[in-house]
Amino acid sequence: MSPPAATATPAGACGRCLRRAWLLSSLSGPMECCARDRARLLELLALPDEQLLEALAGRRKPELRARYETFRAEELADDARLQSICRHRRGYPRALDDPAAPPMLHVEGGTARLSALAAAPVVTILGSSNASDYGIQMARSLARGLAASGVTVAASLTDGIAVAAHAGALDAGGRSIAVLGGGLRVSCSSRRRALYERLTRTGCAVSELPPDCPGRRWGLLASERILAELPRVAVAVEADAGPGGLAAARHAQALGRTVAAIPGRVTSPLSRGTNELLMTGASLVRGARDVLDLLYAADATRARKHAAAAVGAAPQNDLPPDLRAVLERVGAGCDTPDGLTRAGIELSAALLALSELELRGLLVRGDGGRYLPVNPL
Amino acid sequence: MLARAHAFTIEHLHTRHVTVEVDVRAGLPAFTIVGLADTAVREARERIRAAILNSGYEFPARRITANLAPGDVRKAGAGLDLALACAVLAASGQLPREELERVALFGELGLDGSVRPVHGALAVAHAARRAGMRALALAPACAREAMLIDGLDVPAVEHLRSTARVLNGGRGDALHAPAAGARRKSPAIDAQTDSMDRGDLGDVHGQHHAVKAMVIAAAGAHNVLLSGAPGTGKTMLARRIASILPPLSHAEAVEVTRIHSLSGVRVDALAMRCPFRAPHHSITAAGLVGGATRGSIGEVVLAHNGVLFLDELSEFSRSTLEALRQPLEDGRVAIARAHHSALYPTRFMLVAATNPCPCGFASEGDRCGCSEAELARHRRRLSGPMLDRIDLATALHLEVRDRPARALTTSAQAREQVARARELQAARLAPDGVTVNARMDGRMLSRHVKLDARSERMLHDARAAGLLSARGEHRVLRVARTIADLDATARVRACDLGAALALRPDASVAGNRAA
Repeated sequence: MSPPAATATPAGACGRCLRRAWLLSSLSGPMECCARDRARLLELLALPDEQLLEALAGRRKPELRARYETFRAEELADDARLQSICRHRRGYPRALDDPAAPPMLHVEGGTARLSALAAAPVVTILGSSNASDYGIQMARSLARGLAASGVTVAASLTDGIAVAAHAGALDAGGRSIAVLGGGLRVSCSSRRRALYERLTRTGCAVSELPPDCPGRRWGLLASERILAELPRVAVAVEADAGPGGLAAARHAQALGRTVAAIPGRVTSPLSRGTNELLMTGASLVRGARDVLDLLYAADATRARKHAAAAVGAAPQNDLPPDLRAVLERVGAGCDTPDGLTRAGIELSAALLALSELELRGLLVRGDGGRYLPVNPL
Repeated sequence: MLARAHAFTIEHLHTRHVTVEVDVRAGLPAFTIVGLADTAVREARERIRAAILNSGYEFPARRITANLAPGDVRKAGAGLDLALACAVLAASGQLPREELERVALFGELGLDGSVRPVHGALAVAHAARRAGMRALALAPACAREAMLIDGLDVPAVEHLRSTARVLNGGRGDALHAPAAGARRKSPAIDAQTDSMDRGDLGDVHGQHHAVKAMVIAAAGAHNVLLSGAPGTGKTMLARRIASILPPLSHAEAVEVTRIHSLSGVRVDALAMRCPFRAPHHSITAAGLVGGATRGSIGEVVLAHNGVLFLDELSEFSRSTLEALRQPLEDGRVAIARAHHSALYPTRFMLVAATNPCPCGFASEGDRCGCSEAELARHRRRLSGPMLDRIDLATALHLEVRDRPARALTTSAQAREQVARARELQAARLAPDGVTVNARMDGRMLSRHVKLDARSERMLHDARAAGLLSARGEHRVLRVARTIADLDATARVRACDLGAALALRPDASVAGNRAA
């Protein structure tokens, strides 16, 4: 049994919700084994505490039941930086009022801030961790545009698209919510630590599991509920057709949230999921402006005002024609200096134009030396 | 009676002048050698006694003391045999003493009195001339090597008796025939270079961007990194760089040949082409910089005045790459081991090639299957110390073969361009004591790199956009200067700076991935 915490009871969430979180982390191991698929996991998570114990505790049932009955909130490890909030308190994000949504959240960055962030329009950015340079760039510029227009960006903290989304939001000085699949204290990889620290300075990180609960696969799947419930619009940037790829987007669709996707090449396996989503009714978006249109569809003037604020909306218009030609060629797939020479531009002119465009922030150089347009055309 | 002879001992790359003093006087017969001699030198006593007797001379049955001066330098190797034997003969009145002061002797003795070759003849000849010797007597097998040094008479001596004849004013023995006809190049060094660079830039079809980058790198002696998917021609291109570099100057050639001669390679002509070394990625740090055993010479030293090519850069161990820092930065490497320390010159041009990611296809769009963690690990390997010292980087991409690609240039054309650019640089940089743009430091950059108005503005924008660090700016300016030199323009124009920016190393390898 863990020692009682030195300081007072963690404020925020009520005892019953904290007990629920404790129970989930105690049953984390059996949950990982039983919740082989999403449907089964959601079923288990929907069970009340007693039945959950019955279903998963196995031989540890008597012990866990005894501890469950005598549970006191002080048993949970305390951390000054972390707070918790549950649906029985004021300020819990309204969007999570659904019975299928988690009843409570642990928050780094403050519950007040979380309430404020969730009160602004929230857009979730979804996508796979194995992303192409194109996906990374699109996620980043999308998040940058959204954050600059005052939209809260939410995403998980897995590699690829999600991390690019947070980085983009931070680029624009905006705020984002990171949804973690494990305890806040333990499930951020050292590689992402710096980003996490930056992010929680202005935004929030949330998790429904206690701070010390190690991240598991089911926790990640469960956190997709938050990503699906929280936003007004969920945008899938790049995802393959794997089963887990866009589960959150499907979930959001089922909940009646607006789901959108950025199209990719039809020949690329990395875009198969997003293209399929578009086939089955998601809205096609090309960038932040289109997402803002979706958000404020009813309110045309607000939409226009926000679109004007979005970063990178205007500067392409005053480009000299030669630079514009190169930018368009790069966007069309001639994305290397040699590609541009094949398209009829002289090598040194091509290099000069590429550098100029990079300096203007309209192109970036990807990992393998291919150039990528930053903004959609 | 006292006699004095002159010989040399080799300590790493340095040849130390050794004065051999032999004193023969009445007393119990004995032969002592003093003066920090190693085992090989102390064993010389037996060889010398037998050689003298077997050559028909008399070994003095008196007390013989040989001193090797200076006393604080460790003397190694058998090259002192000949000088010791001649000094013993002179001290016992069997040879003229005056001539011994002016003719340096270098060779190992056989028991029958024959003179055997010792490696490092070129270095010894170089030192002998500097020490003001009239002649250097050597075994015929290595005399040709010593003859590469001008201003020194090199009589070949096959036997202790022919040495005596030379010291008495006679002629040396006939030289051995050179190994492969009368080629005016050094087989051992150039053969390795030859096998590496047999090929012409004209063989490289397409990849114009990368070929151009190689020409720029060669023109300014910039360190260059090629990255690209397997099969894009990184190695093919890198191996052709030696074919466009200018030939070595006489002083450089002597330096290169001396190093190779000391590393144990037999040379019989000066190296004409710059060395090209391509160690395998399993090489250790000691193998790369030297110092594995006493006097062993590393690849970076063998690449001095030439090219060091590291293929599959990301496969080299971290410690090996770290060891490259000093040689790249200072143009020399100081090796310190328990019993010795040494300073070697290492001014080479680094050509490195790498895959952009572990699977190799990160530059080919969606074909890459590496996870973000693998990419991060790969980047960490490459970044840091190495990347900081690379001036330009270029990415190669799989060619789209919709029409046959032609070659950008042939080696002969490129060589001419490079030579012209090098002349301009040498003329401009002569007062600063360097010859190529790659060696310009911050002070020289501000003096020699003049930007025109438009490029000045570009540089300012690049700084403001956060694309360039202070060091990165220096690198870009150096490369821009070289590109302008290739076009023989006095000021750096926007297109030169633009190309230099497009060729800057950070982003393409260090990654522009999120966060």
